[in-house]
Amino acid sequence: MKLLKLRFFYFVCLLFTLSAWAQDGTVNGVITDESGLPVPGASVMVKGTSTSTSSDIDGKYSVQASPSSTLVFSYVGYSNQEIAVGNKTTINVSMAASAQNLDEVVVVGYGTQKKAVVTGAISSVRAKDLENVPLTTVGQSLQGRASGVYVAQNAGQPGSSATIRVRGITTFNNNDPLWVVDGVIVDNGGMNFLNQSDIESMEVLKDAASQAIYGARAAAGVILITTKKGKAGKISVNYNGFAGFSKAARRLDLLNATQYGTLRNEAYANGFSGGTFRLPYPNAASLGKGTDWQDIIFNDSAQRSQHEFSVSGGNDKSTFYLSAALTDQEGIVTTEISNYIRKNIRLNSTHKLGKYVTIGQTLGYSHEKSKGLGNTNNEFGGPLSSAINLDPETPAIVTDPSTRPNPGDYDFQYAVKDPNGQYYGISGASLNEMTNPLAYIQTRLGNYSWADNFVGNAYVEVAPIEGLKFRSTVGAKLAYYGTESFTPLSYLNNINNVQRNSLYREQNRNFGWNIENTVSYTKLLGKHNFSVLGGQATYIDNDRRSNGVTYYNQPVNNHHDASFNWFTVREDILGWASTGNKHIVTSLFARATYDYNEKYLFTGIIRRDGSSRFGDNNKYGTFPSFSLGWVPVKEDFWKENKVVTNLKIRGGYGVVGNDNIGDFAYLATVGGGRNYTLGNGVGDNPISIVVGNSPNAPSNPDIKWEETAQTNIGFETTLFNDLSLEFDWYKKKTTGILQPIQIPGYVGAPGAPLGNVADMQNTGVDISLTYRKQLGDFNLSVTGNGSTVKNEVTFIGNDRKFNTGPSFQSMGPITRYEIGTAINQFYGFQTMGIFQNQAEIDNYKNAAGTVIQPNAVPGDFRWADLNGDGKITDEGDRKYLGNPLPKFTYGLTINLAYKGWDLMAFGQGAAGNKIFQGLRRLDLLNANWQTAALERWTGEGTSNTYPRLSTLDNNKNFTRMSNFYLQKGDYFRIKIIQVGYSLPSDVINKVGLAKTRLYVTAENLFTFTKYTGYDPEIGGDVSGIDRGYYPQARSFMLGVNLSF
Amino acid sequence: MLLKMKTRNFNRGVVTVAAALMLMACSKDFLEVPPKGFYAETNYYQNETQAFSGLIAVYDIMKKQAGGFENMVAMLNAGSDDFYAGGGSSTDGAGIQGFSNYTIGPTTIPISFWSDFYQGISRANVLLTKLPGVPMDENNKARFAAETKALRAYYYFQLVNMFGEIPFYTTNLSQDEFYTIEKSQPAVVFAQIEQDLTEAIQGLPGTINLATEAGRFTKGAAQALLGKVYLYQGKNAQAVPLFAEVNGTPGQTNQYGNKLLANFSDLWVISNKFNTESILEAQYTNKSGSIWENWGSGADEGNSLNQMVGPRGYTVTAGSSAPTYYSGWAFNPVTLDLANAMAGDPRFASTIADITPLVAAGTANYSPAYKDTGFFLKKFMPYLADRTTEAGTPELNFRQNMYVIRLADTYLMEAEALGGTGARAQALLDAVRARVGLPAVQVSLTAIYNERRMELAGEGHRWLDLVRTGRAATVLASRGFIAGKHEHWPIPLKETENTKVTQNPAYN
Repeated sequence: MKLLKLRFFYFVCLLFTLSAWAQDGTVNGVITDESGLPVPGASVMVKGTSTSTSSDIDGKYSVQASPSSTLVFSYVGYSNQEIAVGNKTTINVSMAASAQNLDEVVVVGYGTQKKAVVTGAISSVRAKDLENVPLTTVGQSLQGRASGVYVAQNAGQPGSSATIRVRGITTFNNNDPLWVVDGVIVDNGGMNFLNQSDIESMEVLKDAASQAIYGARAAAGVILITTKKGKAGKISVNYNGFAGFSKAARRLDLLNATQYGTLRNEAYANGFSGGTFRLPYPNAASLGKGTDWQDIIFNDSAQRSQHEFSVSGGNDKSTFYLSAALTDQEGIVTTEISNYIRKNIRLNSTHKLGKYVTIGQTLGYSHEKSKGLGNTNNEFGGPLSSAINLDPETPAIVTDPSTRPNPGDYDFQYAVKDPNGQYYGISGASLNEMTNPLAYIQTRLGNYSWADNFVGNAYVEVAPIEGLKFRSTVGAKLAYYGTESFTPLSYLNNINNVQRNSLYREQNRNFGWNIENTVSYTKLLGKHNFSVLGGQATYIDNDRRSNGVTYYNQPVNNHHDASFNWFTVREDILGWASTGNKHIVTSLFARATYDYNEKYLFTGIIRRDGSSRFGDNNKYGTFPSFSLGWVPVKEDFWKENKVVTNLKIRGGYGVVGNDNIGDFAYLATVGGGRNYTLGNGVGDNPISIVVGNSPNAPSNPDIKWEETAQTNIGFETTLFNDLSLEFDWYKKKTTGILQPIQIPGYVGAPGAPLGNVADMQNTGVDISLTYRKQLGDFNLSVTGNGSTVKNEVTFIGNDRKFNTGPSFQSMGPITRYEIGTAINQFYGFQTMGIFQNQAEIDNYKNAAGTVIQPNAVPGDFRWADLNGDGKITDEGDRKYLGNPLPKFTYGLTINLAYKGWDLMAFGQGAAGNKIFQGLRRLDLLNANWQTAALERWTGEGTSNTYPRLSTLDNNKNFTRMSNFYLQKGDYFRIKIIQVGYSLPSDVINKVGLAKTRLYVTAENLFTFTKYTGYDPEIGGDVSGIDRGYYPQARSFMLGVNLSF
Repeated sequence: MLLKMKTRNFNRGVVTVAAALMLMACSKDFLEVPPKGFYAETNYYQNETQAFSGLIAVYDIMKKQAGGFENMVAMLNAGSDDFYAGGGSSTDGAGIQGFSNYTIGPTTIPISFWSDFYQGISRANVLLTKLPGVPMDENNKARFAAETKALRAYYYFQLVNMFGEIPFYTTNLSQDEFYTIEKSQPAVVFAQIEQDLTEAIQGLPGTINLATEAGRFTKGAAQALLGKVYLYQGKNAQAVPLFAEVNGTPGQTNQYGNKLLANFSDLWVISNKFNTESILEAQYTNKSGSIWENWGSGADEGNSLNQMVGPRGYTVTAGSSAPTYYSGWAFNPVTLDLANAMAGDPRFASTIADITPLVAAGTANYSPAYKDTGFFLKKFMPYLADRTTEAGTPELNFRQNMYVIRLADTYLMEAEALGGTGARAQALLDAVRARVGLPAVQVSLTAIYNERRMELAGEGHRWLDLVRTGRAATVLASRGFIAGKHEHWPIPLKETENTKVTQNPAYN
């Protein structure tokens, strides 16, 4: 019976359907995106008919459709939705972003390409991925969001840049990728001038087949940034603002005063070698907790705020995008001397002049002012290093200097006082550069740096016939930057004191410009789709003028009153100036692409560059590439199925270059500054410094481009419609790496010549995944990516066994590389536990029975005698101890939306690397320790990992580079958690708002790591070296988005 | 049709501009950026001024005596029985500490003690190759050549003394020789040193205009140096006549105008540069504006030893009469051994600053640093007033000159070369003692050695004297000196890697 009823219902329905042709009604509705914003321009089609319309500026549409018909809603970047009309007259649709978007366009250099036909390896980050994310600098936005790109902050200091590596380390030289903003190469002076929310998209060209269009400068990767443009239609006004506070996520466990005194006494007693026995702290127990210097430097309520405002719109002739932003961030370490302010303005516009000609421009201006605390990762002073190394016995503020070990320190006229007239404590422990951070702050209040950047371009595009385009672009970056500082008379301790104050100003102007002319033609002949691009370009950069001046002996001693306007005698004025050497590159390039029905794909690129940095022998370099793709799902034999809904297989090979080597390396030059002083200076006879000139490093007129050849094979696929996957395998080989040929000191050269001597190879895999699903009102998207990289040095030059990297004090170089290793591996001695008693020392012998460490005493490290020669030597007993660069980096973003609510969680991490923890100065035996020292060896069985403390470290337990200083650097960090709520549109529409969203953000909420320092994410030329690293802050922010 | 024409014209315009730009792109001239601010080597050494500038670059290395943290005098003092390394702690300067306690090795020996002298030698070689072709005054050319040879000899002398067998060359190495050169025997090096100095003596002036030229080599300086070179090799007979030329009649003015200063303490008056007792002197000034970034480089003309030897955290109680020493880094603290040996010697007060009584009296205070004895090297201790007010980092811009060879030294060397016997040897020794009011003692090698220790304390001679006279193993035994090993420094590790240069004995 039930069944019958149903059948009858179906029959009726069928009848209705049949009659629907004649009975169209009007269906209205609003199309919105997942966050509730109207989607203008979305297409609404009645399925199976030619009837269609598109939504207006408010996302509203109206279409004639019969109740039996089905409406198909589609919009670029979103999944199509089909909704049966039935008896509804209003259908409101919430579009969900699609996992697979075949119409998506990517920027490929001198043009764009449909993602469906791209054959190279390109990672894209879209504005949508970054919206509302509290990013201060552009580099951060790539972290964890683009596969194949490794990003590590260089410091937690606000406004500081990040180390960015595309597919590993490409060269021994500069590995910074080439940045191209709207076609302007801006690789000098950092990227801070960009405001995050002005960015429409960022594309990372990862393989040579994509990079080749930037030829000689592309080897370390190319990052293309496109800023936002206006869209025709109603003027849209947006505001995004947030404010919050930052704090340190973690502190070190340092000894308190009693513990410190006890260990100092112990080290003294262990190292005592005659004379009068005098413990440094006879009453260590009475010292109490002492000063927690970390309390003094860290600010747990550092303010942070950002305001971004944009207006965009236009009509069919002209569009514009206008924005302004203000970023204000305080640092979490000694905030008074660590903060950052940036102001941005941007105007982008396009105008159609008649039928064939379009002109446009982009122009961004930024002003930055940043105060830096000096050393953000340096063991020689600054607040961080001082807080770690300063003895806790010294009070932060001293009320009665006569009670201090060295009361004479306070007799100096310029010993620094607090506002109440009390002295800041001066350590009596002879700690060289380690000074009271409070006093140090007072000496740097007048120091800051500033920058004004103008970056923009203007272009004219002529399209006289369909498919043919001429385009000329002129781009420029004009940067003014400088520093101001006042160094007051001060006495911080006996070696850090200023007995002559000075006011310093430095100003630089750096100009770079380029002109690019391209002609392109695209033609579709049946299913054959051709396009060709030819172009010419000239780039000139480093047109720099710099000067600085110091005025000594200011009549005032604080930065407020210091001024260049005080009358200053000539002898007290010291100036300098310098001029940059222009860097000129001229280029010719061409690209051809072909596809057959988007099924068989081909791209070929060739570029020829000439660079002013090479001599006549090798001025020009040619860089070719090609890549192929195949889309098997388009083949007839491919059975349509629900598992694999899209698949593209692609591969390519190409060669790119690097000329980032400095100027005039090809010339044999004579340099000055090898001076000597003549004259006896008696009476009026001047003692004159005569400038001495002598040859510089031996020259190499034959130096040429480094070449990086890369093979890339990958595929893109969409599975079950919801999951898209991109996979790339690459192998890149850099040959002829320019490096100083390390010549022996006995050659007598003041430097080393450059040569194309070394080769290196990187292999790796990049994977990115996107999963999107809409379940009713519930929207889910998960995107993730992971990258592996394996680096191998394959040649370092004739007659060379290895090269070394950065040093740590008297340890000398702590990294090394040679043929077969990865670049800059930690290198040192291997500890094998600690000698617990004399018998163990006596029994520690090599095969021949030689006692290996006869001079060791119990509590010393047992060093591995790697070459078995019965002694421990630098030459024979050091080995590779780990890699500072992660083998694996990954990122994961989860977006959830339900009705007005949204949640975003973003995490990223790195694995497989080691960190060198050099927080305690080797030469400051009186420096404080971390609490790990409490677990030191003090007798048989007490420790097998932390040696005894002694001021006489004859076994070099602490002064040798060894695995003792290395820790695992793996981490996973929940970078961002954000929860937002958008007010219902019927509420806000009444007050004229299109969208109102409130959100809270937590940044760097959790970091999972075993590393014991402040922060496992440590950038730098060689990453993973912690010398007292300024950690990234944990921040909590409240924000609001408004759209009108 | 009209529109089409326009378009075509426009296109033609674009094509023309593009073509022009492409031509520009292909032009090599456009890519030539002229080097400015320095000379191309092919265009240099074209006139006397440039040759002189090349000569100055050779002189530059003379500053190694007391310039930079890694300077000869602080280092050599630290290895002797008269001083410790000192400084802030046992790890303050791994090289100087290691030499002081004889744990120095290939990784801790600062490479500059090796490579700086080779830079001087390389510059000298270049100049000697270029000089014949420079159009300039022939007398000056001969003088420049003589000075260059004297300097090259001095630098090789330093290297051969400190390192023993060394890579040796008088024409700069070509790139394919960089890694293939082997060490030469000291005898080979000494032969060249002797030849260079002998030739230099011919071309050097006996006296120079001190007002403008002080600091440049003179005939007397080259003779004294050659005498010293012979003495170090035990070629006493050859040394004697050279010293005799320089010394003249003991106590009297010599042929070049040299004479012992009447007051020993005047030797250490900072403004008393190139006085009559000076034979060869390294010059320093406070006017080069040195900063930490160029410390120890060719452009740093400051005396770093001055900064290094003062007591740490030295403060004078307000109103007290204690000397206002400048606070330094407490390197080269005087051993009790030397302080005791000099007790009662009239030169003590000029040589050693005894801070302990001042502290006891409450008139001054300081922070005892590593290996503190309370005794400091007064000869090179500046006063607060000597701290520069010129541009640059004050710590790095002290201006006291350093004697490399002074007349009292050549007196004693001649006496020694004479075998420590005879009337002239006696007269020479007496003259040195008489100047400070000491009575004559019977001349003997022992007496001469002792006199050298007293007279020249802290000037960097002691360690060399101990080694060349075979006394080091005994005197420095308690420091850790091992005979057969520590007569020379280890060769810096970097120099033996990738090369054919072998490490010195017992340092492997």
